Amino acid sequence: MQVFYIRYRNSQGALMRILNAVSRRGLDLTTVHAEYAGQDHIVTMLLEVTQKQIGQLYREWYAIVDVTEVRSTAARGHEEAAWTAHRPASESVAQQSARAALA
Amino acid sequence: MRAEGVDLVFGYPGGAIMPLYDALEGSGVRHVLTRHEQGAVFAAEGYARVTGKVGVAMATSGPGATNLVTGIADAKMDSVPLVCITGQVRSAMIGTDAFQETDVFGVTLSLTKWSRLVRTIDEIPEIIAEGFHWARSGRPGPVVIDIPTDILKAKKEFSGPVNFKPHVRPADARADGAFSDTIVALLQRAMRPVALVGAGAKLSGAVPELRKLLDHLNIPTFATVHGLGAVPAESPYYLGMVGMHGTRAANTALHETDLLLVFGARLDDRVTGDPTRFAPHAKIVHFEIDPAQLDRVRACELPVIGNLADTIPAFCSELQHASLPDWDAWRSIACGSERAELDSHARAQPTKRFLDELFSRLPEDNVVIADVGQHQMWAAQRYRSSSPRGFITSGGLGAMGFALPAAVGVQLAKPQTCVLCVSGDGGFQMNIQELATVHRLGLPIKMVIVDNKYLGMVRQWQQLFYERNYAETDLSDNPDFVEIAKAYKIHGFRLNEVAMEDFPVSAETADLMDNFLRSPEPELLVFDCHPEANVYPMVPAGAALSEMVFEDK
Repeated sequence: MQVFYIRYRNSQGALMRILNAVSRRGLDLTTVHAEYAGQDHIVTMLLEVTQKQIGQLYREWYAIVDVTEVRSTAARGHEEAAWTAHRPASESVAQQSARAALA
Repeated sequence: MRAEGVDLVFGYPGGAIMPLYDALEGSGVRHVLTRHEQGAVFAAEGYARVTGKVGVAMATSGPGATNLVTGIADAKMDSVPLVCITGQVRSAMIGTDAFQETDVFGVTLSLTKWSRLVRTIDEIPEIIAEGFHWARSGRPGPVVIDIPTDILKAKKEFSGPVNFKPHVRPADARADGAFSDTIVALLQRAMRPVALVGAGAKLSGAVPELRKLLDHLNIPTFATVHGLGAVPAESPYYLGMVGMHGTRAANTALHETDLLLVFGARLDDRVTGDPTRFAPHAKIVHFEIDPAQLDRVRACELPVIGNLADTIPAFCSELQHASLPDWDAWRSIACGSERAELDSHARAQPTKRFLDELFSRLPEDNVVIADVGQHQMWAAQRYRSSSPRGFITSGGLGAMGFALPAAVGVQLAKPQTCVLCVSGDGGFQMNIQELATVHRLGLPIKMVIVDNKYLGMVRQWQQLFYERNYAETDLSDNPDFVEIAKAYKIHGFRLNEVAMEDFPVSAETADLMDNFLRSPEPELLVFDCHPEANVYPMVPAGAALSEMVFEDK
């Protein structure tokens, strides 16, 4: 199980778009909690997903106009999830992948 | 909308949208009436695809809005900038299942890049500005703006356009330039590099830079169906279309490569075949504006996120200082005559020849619009133009009925251009009502129906994979398309495939085709195709690109 934390601007339909990325894959939403968090909102979800689906969900959520941040942890602990590849945050995209490509 | 540069919209009126229609006169925005809302949205797509501007479609609430849905999905799949304005029932009636009420916002939520249900008249300027921004920014896509009729009726002085400033998004992050020397290093180690060009190369406006880069690299290159035209067909390293119905040379090179450079392509299943066996020996460098498209079916080693108009020049400048290996031997194999298309005597040969004859007679300024099915793949295989926006089709969604209304939008955007619309007999009937739009506007669209009296692509799969059980694909009772065109006051005629047996074609046939293309009026040409003609090469679903089938068993 994986816990996802998605920060988003609470505009019309933003939460539904986030949830739709889950439902279109036929995943069961075990737990969903959305709340106000500073200037944005955060939705927390507990999902049974494969490593590949984690990557797909990250990318699909980041493609939503109103999503500003996606994080996840393994449900049993609090460490960051192993999924880091191609996160569209700037800093590591070129360098990390470059190292991997040349390995 | 005028503030956003809109001067042309496509639509169909109805109850809830009436106040907007009432305001059109004198607005400076021209409205084109189609005969079905799906025609309107496909026409807006055609306009957007050929110009790169935002296409606009409008429809009323309920069925009017739901009839837009296929076009919205099409625009999402093919990255087309599109804004749909829909009327909605009065604000007070929303949620009561009122007459012609549909939750259009909800229905289109998963198909749109952005959408809004307008709640007050004060919001409209900002919503319009933001909607157009998202439609055209980054990876373009569809936007829906749903406006209750009471808000459309309300009046307020327009205080001028809103200068919308988007919030910062993580997906806007760009590669920082360090990628260039990495790609150079990968190239220097590569033995069999290839390049794959997709729609992103065109959408970003990076075609000139891309062509310079490819000329410099001089490596085997191929295109997706939406990448056609980005690379001149006469380039010695160009191998044509890749994928399920791609060329033998392109698919073989893609299977053998050890370094794949992807420029603005999603790598969908029609391009990759079995993803687990896609380019099995290759490292992948993926130039892409939309991070959501990376690693969807196969992980790439090096993503280069950003607008290709920025990243390709950055890469080019790094290349100038690098020495690259000599790939002459690899290029000779990949582009050599050994891998040329087989000279098939199959049933499709007359249709391919017909398309060759037609395309070779087109004036230089032309756009070809293909519908969906066998004729689409034959047209894509035979298309030889180097016009970046010269070949338009519904690629990702594969929406039959796309071509005729899209051609309306293309011809209105390019009044002087020869617009050739190639459809099948199934798809043409899906939006045949737009012949009325063509006639009313006097658009000189050249319409071709490749008539095999079947839903040909489905029939081909039934033949190959369902033991010739042609379930519900027989269209042998088609109407007389020439007579139908006549009823719409459009001239039409038939051409039998026997006319393609002469080499060269007879003077009579040549004149017929020349006159068809040069006519200042709309024209319909119905080409009789063999009912069991098949599209080859073909990569069966689930097979690797190297497992092409070339002919009927």
